[in-house]
Amino acid sequence: MQKSKLVFFLCLLTVIGCARDKAGTGITVAGSTSVQPFADKWAEVYMDEHPDQVVNIQGGGSSAGIQAAKSGACNIGTSSRELKPDEKDLTEIVVARDGLAIIVHTSNRIDNLTIEQVKGIFTGKIRNWREIGGNDKLITVVTREEGSGTRGAFQELVMKKDRVAKSAIVQDSNGTVREIVAGDPNAIGYISLGLVNNKVRALKLNGVPATDENIISKKYKLVRPFLFVTKGEPTPVCREFIDFVQSAEGQKLVSEEGLIPVK
Amino acid sequence: MTRLERNERLIKIALFVIACSAVSILAVITIFIFSEGTPIMFKYGLRSFLLGLDWYPSEQSFGLLPMIIGSVMVTFGSLLVGVPFGLACAIFLTEFSSRRLRHILKPIIELLAGIPSVVYGFIGVVILVPFIRETLGGPGLSVLAASIILGIMILPTIISISIDSLQAVPRSYREGSIALGATKWQTTKMVILPAAKSGIIASIILGMGRAIGETMAVIMIAGNAINIPRSVLDPVRTLTSNIALEMGYASGEHRQALFATGVILFIIIMILNTIANATSVKGKAAK
Amino acid sequence: MVNSVTNMRMEVKNLNFYYGRNLALKNINMGIENNKVTAVIGPSGCGKSTFIRILNRMNDIIIGSRVEGEILLDGDNIYAPQVDVVDIRRKIGMVFQKSNPFPKSIFDNIAYGLKINGISNKTEITDRVEMSLKNSALWEEVRDRLDDNAFELSGGQQQRLCIARALAIEPEVILFDEPCSALDPISTAKIEELINQLKERYTIAIVTHNMQQAARISDYTGFFLLGELIEFDKTEKIFTNPSQKQTEDYITGRFG
Repeated sequence: MQKSKLVFFLCLLTVIGCARDKAGTGITVAGSTSVQPFADKWAEVYMDEHPDQVVNIQGGGSSAGIQAAKSGACNIGTSSRELKPDEKDLTEIVVARDGLAIIVHTSNRIDNLTIEQVKGIFTGKIRNWREIGGNDKLITVVTREEGSGTRGAFQELVMKKDRVAKSAIVQDSNGTVREIVAGDPNAIGYISLGLVNNKVRALKLNGVPATDENIISKKYKLVRPFLFVTKGEPTPVCREFIDFVQSAEGQKLVSEEGLIPVK
Repeated sequence: MTRLERNERLIKIALFVIACSAVSILAVITIFIFSEGTPIMFKYGLRSFLLGLDWYPSEQSFGLLPMIIGSVMVTFGSLLVGVPFGLACAIFLTEFSSRRLRHILKPIIELLAGIPSVVYGFIGVVILVPFIRETLGGPGLSVLAASIILGIMILPTIISISIDSLQAVPRSYREGSIALGATKWQTTKMVILPAAKSGIIASIILGMGRAIGETMAVIMIAGNAINIPRSVLDPVRTLTSNIALEMGYASGEHRQALFATGVILFIIIMILNTIANATSVKGKAAK
Repeated sequence: MVNSVTNMRMEVKNLNFYYGRNLALKNINMGIENNKVTAVIGPSGCGKSTFIRILNRMNDIIIGSRVEGEILLDGDNIYAPQVDVVDIRRKIGMVFQKSNPFPKSIFDNIAYGLKINGISNKTEITDRVEMSLKNSALWEEVRDRLDDNAFELSGGQQQRLCIARALAIEPEVILFDEPCSALDPISTAKIEELINQLKERYTIAIVTHNMQQAARISDYTGFFLLGELIEFDKTEKIFTNPSQKQTEDYITGRFG
């Protein structure tokens, strides 16, 4: 019921989008808000090179994007998490990878954690930095809100079946998580690797630094895919856009924006 | 019918239609919120919503009690900050300052009400939160930070309505009291404040309404943890923050649960407004 | 003029009063005799209300006003710098033109003055409330409804409540600023009778625009015109044989 309403809404947007744009052939891409900024970039460059093509990028979240692709409300759905078993009937194309960095304050003595330790901190079992070799200070845990793709990926990759502690501070963007960790000497949080700057420090995980090379070589474990999903095989028009995204040029945009290229 | 009469009728009809549409838009919004929010409340039981402690919408766990308590704590805290300061300021400006100072300060205070809440939130994040973290401990994002910022945000409401009600106290009460040998403070405390009581209470309830409904600033400084805070230094999530934080990605039952949050908030605010109206009507009747 | 007063309780000497730059009262000299009623009459705007409010420093609360000269109570200048103005207002009570009970119960209206003067003993408060109500001839009418809101009383009763309120703190002088101007004749008669009784124990000054009232209840009368005291003498003399032409014109109704 809810989903059908959302789909209807997306259809409506599509209609409005198409009506507004001059060209007849349009591709609608909808879904993950994490993918959206990159998709916007691709669409911009792609439309410059193919003036007869129109690519429409919309948000809505990974789940909504996948649903929209399933129902045909959009041509391509985007997701910043792996497909769930009941979504596996769609065709998935990995267009980029995003590392998830565990970040702490620059003054923090801790340099390396195991994934189990990270999980222990986020479930609330480990409450003091002393327990893992740091200063005798309570840990300020910062997480993302329910429903966010980044939270979903973190849940899947680190927490598995366990819940993030209720006492964790919740922020609704990568930027605010980073700001809080940058300001609080006792904080720990997770953000997209591409958004790590010199105000915070990304920890090594199981001894592996969070770098592009380690992600490509699969040594660094906290990686989520950015997916394009279509119902069945992509149409020729969509295929052309997807090919562009996967081309050297398209992937160059990906690395420029701090993501990990797939090729 | 003359032309003038016809015009009059047309204008009347036009105004009537506009009034009806304004009211019906509000009615439609209300109906929408309830129709979206109530089914899930009944599906999982009102009890699990109002008394549940766990908010994990992806696991069908929709306990709103921490947020209800959070809203109450933050609102009450903001009153603890805002009411004494606001009232003291209103009393000073009406009873103890010169007329000129009042004429300068009152518009400035009313202007403060126009500052967007995100600015208050930003000031909270940049100044207050680090201050609390460094001097009192904890993460800084806390009940205390939210209460202080909200307390400041409701000051204009409390001050300006209190000033109006203090000024509405007849001059003859002041004269009568002073002629009996009362000091200014005795007069204020024992005659003026009781006489202005209903207006002051209304100002507090309106301030409370603003505090409970405030979202942006609270998201920025309250920390939004879904725990029931154990001290004022713990982070807290309010009902409004819960909706605004998660609306972006929510779908399905999660989305409905956010509407249910809205329903509860709606009911709380309706109750507050009713009390405010009742007290101010009672105040008018007494005069 | 002042010579006619023999036993002065209050004395006004060379009084000038300014509202900002505007000289509202010019060189006033008069005495207020102990246990007598002194009336102040004159046309609207002559400064008589301003004058009486100066006598217990009520005009202090008007920003930009200024007093020159001396006002003596038992020989001490009430405008002297070391004087506690609150203390002056306790000694010199005032009843206003429009009755102004507080929005409290009848009992609390009177108890208020006692409380602010530091009386906290409940029996004493109850006794003095009753005494004041008896002295203001209101007791019989309100003894069963002391907890009712004062606004439920009639206009005349409210004014007598205000008198009771002033009496409760046992002043030495009571000033009345046109106390009957908003009342009907029956209520007015009651207040006049009351003032007549009160003068046995208090010194009274009353402003009135009603010349018959002044003639009926006062022992001395001062006639004000345009901020000046034209004539001050025994009431009898003012109303039968005034020495000034302006006074005569006024009391015979030729102007004002």
